[in-house]
Amino acid sequence: MKIVVCVKQVAVLGDEVEFADDALDVDPDYLDFALNEWDSYATEEALRTRESLGAEGDEIVVVSVGDRQVEDAMRRCLAMGADRAIRVDGPGSADPITLARLLAPVVQRESPDLVFCGVQSSDAVQAATGTVLAELTGLPRVAVVTRIEWDPSAARAIVHRELEGGLVDVTEVDTPALLTIQTGINQPRYATLRAIKQAEQKEIEVVSPAEQGEPASRVRRMFTPPKEEGAQILDGGPADIARRIKEIVEERLK
Amino acid sequence: MARDPKYDILFEPIQLGPKTMKNRFYQIPHCNGFGSEKPLSQAYFRAMKAEGGYGACCTEYCSISPESDDTHRVSARLWDDEDVKNLSVMCEMLHDHGALAAAELWYGGPHAPCMESRSVPRGPSQIPSDFEYLTYAKEMDKDDIREVQQLYVDAARRARDAGFDIVYVYGSHSYLPQQFLTPYYNKRTDEYGGSFENRARFWRETIEQVRDAVGDDTAIAVRMSCDMFMGDAGTQLERDCLPFVELCDEIVDVWDINVSGISEWGEDATPSRFYPSGRLLPWQEAVKKVSKKPVLGVGRFTSPDLMVDAINSGKLDIIATCRPSISDPFLPKKIDEGRLDDIRECIGCNICISRWEIGGPPVICTQNATAGEEYRRGWHPEKFDTAENADNDVLVVGAGPAGMECAMILGKRGMRRVHLVEAEEDMGGIMRWIPQLPGLGEWARVVNYRKIQTDKLRNVEFIPGTTLDANGVKEYGAEIVVIATGAYWATDGLNGCTHDTIPGADASQPWCLTPEQIMRDGKDVPGSNVLIVDNDGYFMGVSLAEKLASEGKKVTLMTHLGHIAPYMHFTLEAPNQHRKLHKLGVDIVTYHIPSRIEQGAVTATHVYDEEAHEQTWDADAVVLITQRRSNEALYRELKDRIGFDALREEGITGCYRIGDCEAPRLIADCVFSGHRLAREIDSENPEVPKPFIRERRVIERELAVA
Repeated sequence: MKIVVCVKQVAVLGDEVEFADDALDVDPDYLDFALNEWDSYATEEALRTRESLGAEGDEIVVVSVGDRQVEDAMRRCLAMGADRAIRVDGPGSADPITLARLLAPVVQRESPDLVFCGVQSSDAVQAATGTVLAELTGLPRVAVVTRIEWDPSAARAIVHRELEGGLVDVTEVDTPALLTIQTGINQPRYATLRAIKQAEQKEIEVVSPAEQGEPASRVRRMFTPPKEEGAQILDGGPADIARRIKEIVEERLK
Repeated sequence: MARDPKYDILFEPIQLGPKTMKNRFYQIPHCNGFGSEKPLSQAYFRAMKAEGGYGACCTEYCSISPESDDTHRVSARLWDDEDVKNLSVMCEMLHDHGALAAAELWYGGPHAPCMESRSVPRGPSQIPSDFEYLTYAKEMDKDDIREVQQLYVDAARRARDAGFDIVYVYGSHSYLPQQFLTPYYNKRTDEYGGSFENRARFWRETIEQVRDAVGDDTAIAVRMSCDMFMGDAGTQLERDCLPFVELCDEIVDVWDINVSGISEWGEDATPSRFYPSGRLLPWQEAVKKVSKKPVLGVGRFTSPDLMVDAINSGKLDIIATCRPSISDPFLPKKIDEGRLDDIRECIGCNICISRWEIGGPPVICTQNATAGEEYRRGWHPEKFDTAENADNDVLVVGAGPAGMECAMILGKRGMRRVHLVEAEEDMGGIMRWIPQLPGLGEWARVVNYRKIQTDKLRNVEFIPGTTLDANGVKEYGAEIVVIATGAYWATDGLNGCTHDTIPGADASQPWCLTPEQIMRDGKDVPGSNVLIVDNDGYFMGVSLAEKLASEGKKVTLMTHLGHIAPYMHFTLEAPNQHRKLHKLGVDIVTYHIPSRIEQGAVTATHVYDEEAHEQTWDADAVVLITQRRSNEALYRELKDRIGFDALREEGITGCYRIGDCEAPRLIADCVFSGHRLAREIDSENPEVPKPFIRERRVIERELAVA
């Protein structure tokens, strides 16, 4: 059994934020970096899948795109228990389509039984990389997964998807498949200091980026939205205010 | 970050007579155990607040003469030129930071027991102190009045010569000038007693004389209590205080307004258990309305919004703080720099005050382990040097007060990685449930502050929901291990009175409970009659009595001590706590220790009854607050079963215990214990505290023999 987990090192904003001089990004001085929260759940789910179903020789492989710095996040996954890590030496903060193009050849080369991605990253919040990657690798995909019951011998999994309004969609998928993992599916484990130290010693395979093609999107400018006029303050008792809100909503709906 | 402009008013200068104070942050006179005789501890302690942005810092009460000697308690003193020399260090250090220095000139009258000087204090009338036992004053005749006023003048000159910018004629807390103003103390029939004019005469004359002597060089401050809460006998706002402000406004540069007398001064230094911030504002506002001079006062302010509101609404001109300045000497600077979540907020436990009440030990603080340690241990609350062994990883087991503090300080000292591992799902240890006892909500600040701080530290990771056994610790991969697993309340009645268990006591029974079973585990307290056995003497017994009585139980609180919760006299919580328990109908049984407990009944004897005549109380439930025991199993496993040599082979170079896990103690001492270890983690033997500087006179041998 082999599971590939695609992870991202995300930028974390502090209390204060300044933009870079070219206004195309946040000034890196104001950023911290961490393993994307969704990806820690995806890694944990891969580890648990191996622990419950796995056998000798099974592998959890972590893949990420970025410069050397993203290895910190990858080593966190190794410390949790992943076996191997592959870094695609490309632009880690690229758009989801570009990232998927860079990840796809590595995923295909590894030909895993399952591919896990986080539903989304906490910095870009586009929730698209996993879906695009499934398309590029020709894998069936299920998004926003909260439960997996996988039968490797039958090459099928019953998967719970979280829908709006608290609904759950229970569906079946043939494996290999790509699943995007939702937070709360499990409780990610913490790495001991020993595991962190051992992960520091592990070799991370670095592969050159494939042809990444035209960017799917580009940042033209980052700025703080100007304060707009036109806010209306409603006075009066709760009943008056409620009546007034109802009127305004009805007005807008016309 | 920059200061929020809404706080700008707190940073506007203000004129106090001949002196300009740079902002509105004022450290009110408060004790620290240092006085004039530990002058460097005194100076460094006050200067830390000046460095933290305070615009003015005061001495504690500062005795003007050996006949006002408060020993056993520690006051500052300006008795002679050597005191001048000693206190001048404090003034100089404050001035270096741009802060004003204030001396609170004090004459205690009958409250001064003069145990060191063996002098006789003078007072308005010969009535023994309501604060002390067996101390009387000599009733002052006219010559005495002139002489004592001269003592004030001489001390004011010495204060000026020491470098003080503000000189108080201090009355609050029932000291001499306020005694003259108050019928409770002043029974005189001459021109210094009777009518308001007569009762005010001594204080006004004294202010005038001090002003004539030093008023060109120093600001004259008057600290007055505006309500003693004792009816006609005590000082009253409308009858005495507002007329006094009008009478003296011209000759006073700044009014320092509070309430209470001395015997219940918890009404002024309010514990959070009973009062929120700003409890004195109505009296301060009343004075502000009639005075043209700046008014300052305390209110245990930690929130800059409340401070701004007090000024903008015309209640105060200057925000005075005592306890919040101990808890965080950098309160002003943190507001100025927009770092509100870095403010170490006072929890209002009054453990600081307890040390003065006990009579002499240095000040301590639950929140700020560096309070009082500025000089003698060289600790700075905001500065941390990188540890020499910072390339080590540290495992801290247990996130109670000691573990949280230790992990936070180790993080600030730059240790490579600190893992704070906790069995429960969140930080806090005992502080997860103690703040849920009646009135103790603000105590949760101990956890909140450390949670926010550790979250900011990239090298500190909090690991919840994880229980480590000795092998888990051994194999965790840390070079340094700190065990902070806390303590538990004895389940068998083991206690410090009989040094034995209580027959029949067994908290595994449904009718027998310990505090954490009730508060943490939610164990049901059965029946309607509850008997609490309290051999602890601090807040736990009375708090649970209050909680259970409020829930409708009939509560009996039994202690072997002569008082319920005697330590709460020191924290000034006792009077109102007694009132509460009295109102709730809690039966208090003192000097009794259970000899036998069974389902439905507790049998006890009087501790001084050699015949051991037994008496029995009905009890559907028994709560055991007898003593605590350290949770030391993990440490013992590591030390005794695995052994430190075997740990060294795993790369663990040090394994230490902190807090309750070593020996149960005050929360403040747990925090100190964690802080101390982290400060000294790179010392030769971190287990043993490094010596601290003792300010004492070391004799020249030859001179001593001669």
